[in-house]
Amino acid sequence: MSALPFAFVRMRAVVGIAVAQLRRSPGRTALAVLAVALAVLAVTLLAGLGAGVVATGEEGLESADQDIWISSDPVDPDASGTENPLVGTHGTAAELTDREDVTYATPIALYDVYVGTDPDPETLERRPAVGVQETHDGFDFEAGGGFETPDEAYEPGQPRSQEPVTDEIVLDPRVAESVDAEVGDTLYVGTSRQTAPEYAFTVVGVSDYYSQFLGSETVTLPLVDLQAVAGTTGTDRATFLTADVADDADREAVAADLDESYPEYDVRPSDEQVGAMIGDRPLVVASGATLVGLAVVGGVVLTVNLFALVAAQQRAELAALRAVGLSRGLLAGTVAAQGVVIGLLGGLVGVLATPLLASGLNRVAASVASFDRLVRPSSDVYVLGLAIALVVGVLVALVAGWRAGRYATIDHLEG
Amino acid sequence: MIDLSLRRTASTSASASTGPSRAESETGAGTEARTETEGNTNRHDGTAAVRLESVSHEYGTGGGRLRSGRDRTVTALEDVSLAVGAGEVVGLKGPSGSGKSTILHAVAGLLAPTEGRVDLLGTDLTDRSERERTRLRRNHVGIVFQRFHLLPSLSARANVALPLVQTGVGRSTRRERATELLEAVGLDDRITHLPSELSGGECQRVAIARALATDPDVIVADEPTGELDTTTGASVLELLTDAGRDGNRAVLVASHDDATLAVADRVVPLRDGRVVSDGY
Repeated sequence: MSALPFAFVRMRAVVGIAVAQLRRSPGRTALAVLAVALAVLAVTLLAGLGAGVVATGEEGLESADQDIWISSDPVDPDASGTENPLVGTHGTAAELTDREDVTYATPIALYDVYVGTDPDPETLERRPAVGVQETHDGFDFEAGGGFETPDEAYEPGQPRSQEPVTDEIVLDPRVAESVDAEVGDTLYVGTSRQTAPEYAFTVVGVSDYYSQFLGSETVTLPLVDLQAVAGTTGTDRATFLTADVADDADREAVAADLDESYPEYDVRPSDEQVGAMIGDRPLVVASGATLVGLAVVGGVVLTVNLFALVAAQQRAELAALRAVGLSRGLLAGTVAAQGVVIGLLGGLVGVLATPLLASGLNRVAASVASFDRLVRPSSDVYVLGLAIALVVGVLVALVAGWRAGRYATIDHLEG
Repeated sequence: MIDLSLRRTASTSASASTGPSRAESETGAGTEARTETEGNTNRHDGTAAVRLESVSHEYGTGGGRLRSGRDRTVTALEDVSLAVGAGEVVGLKGPSGSGKSTILHAVAGLLAPTEGRVDLLGTDLTDRSERERTRLRRNHVGIVFQRFHLLPSLSARANVALPLVQTGVGRSTRRERATELLEAVGLDDRITHLPSELSGGECQRVAIARALATDPDVIVADEPTGELDTTTGASVLELLTDAGRDGNRAVLVASHDDATLAVADRVVPLRDGRVVSDGY
């Protein structure tokens, strides 16, 4: 018989012994599979969370449908509205729109405001507010519609109203529920509890559009009205400006040109803005990397311990096999084959359970932080999880089997 | 009488020939091994199949990775010389700790004694690597343990066939051989049973069948009746002695029980690792 059929015969026998060993203790095998599945889940969910955070940021900016972002610093999506460092923003927006390579530019302001259907200051709730010129199709209203600011309200060179112009507001559905408001109701809005009763707005729509972007339950109102409520109409403050680049213009080149023209500002294309937002949070990045690293290391350590235990539990049986003449390689093979089966089953269970658990976590994330689909395990993440289960499982089982074969001596058959 | 010679045919034997070429090919020892084995390994010529010459062995108790500061050793064998011929059944008698098991382990190549020479079919095991000793054990030595040590997840037939796995014998041939052996030990109606479904005596019969799977030249049995009642023990001993005498195999049986050793052609008493007398 040649070497190849010899090897095949042994391999078949090794698999047979391994499967028999696994079937002998179905409870132990199930627990081992579960442990590997948990290790895989730890990796896929945490890696999926990392991917989801980046994707959420990118989508937030992409859904804003703006090519260029202008701010004094990288735009902070968590900003509560206390920082609106840009002044004279409508003038700047008009300057930008006058350029041939820019089709449209608009400022956006973020403030914290107090809202409520009852003017009693004690009943008002604090919420982040976004000031924009108009709503658009992306708002996908659950009820009602959006608002549009009259063009004259932004006419350059004209004195601007110190009072709200449209008195219209769009609420996040959870805000609407919280303050018990629906379309057509009156809502009091102010940057303090004392000023809110002075500004009565009409709820015109319900949408969570900016909530998804900012990660909190947000109200949206016309920029001029928000500036009026905040008392910044005179200085025309905003958090940032966004601009749309002409179809035939190079977005990067326009951004570079604007950066030169406005040295006091940070000018970034939308993809750089995402990088800046993330890069501006070394703690977040470090924490995310640490979590993923811990998940991988934890998964590996768990797998190592698991297979060391599996091998140790079979030490007497392995010693008996060694005594009747089976080689260390063959013994290692039987443990490794168990590793393959456990790793494959655990990996598959982990991978199959990932979408289910990701969905559950996303529901929790959506309810507490307004982020939809925060955990997004990509195909790469699934491959990573399965690879850890299989490759690490097999390698560790092979080493554990080899060591068990070495230490499974006749001593383990005595006493 | 049950025929336990059960000589393997060419088709069931991984290395069909016996004698010098067999040992030589297994150890790769070349001319030297051939010279050693010639004149010694024929199980029919009455010469020693197993020979121990001035064997001493010490177990270390302080040599682990975590040293205690002083290494202590225990002398298990001291200047033991012994020979067992083909077809001969030799009993090793002595109390616990007298060195019986150590002799069996040395003969099976499970340990390398610290001093002396252990010849198995004319091949000195003491200068062989662990891998070579394993190979020699696989093809020439059958082991029967007191506690059977069957794989609980495998059927009786699969347990018997296990030693043949390493030799690359095909599945159907392994099953055929195992069935033949189980029938020979009277377990033809227990072939597919798991060890947990067998009595102690039946388990030991399976273990004996497993020991015979590779058609060994030597069988070592360590307290083979220690877990069995008198009647069952007697039938197991009969199987062992038949396997030795009918198959012209050297059989070493270690026990502290006189009744067990009564079946032996010769009994070698041991005390404190020494041979008390040449045998009786």
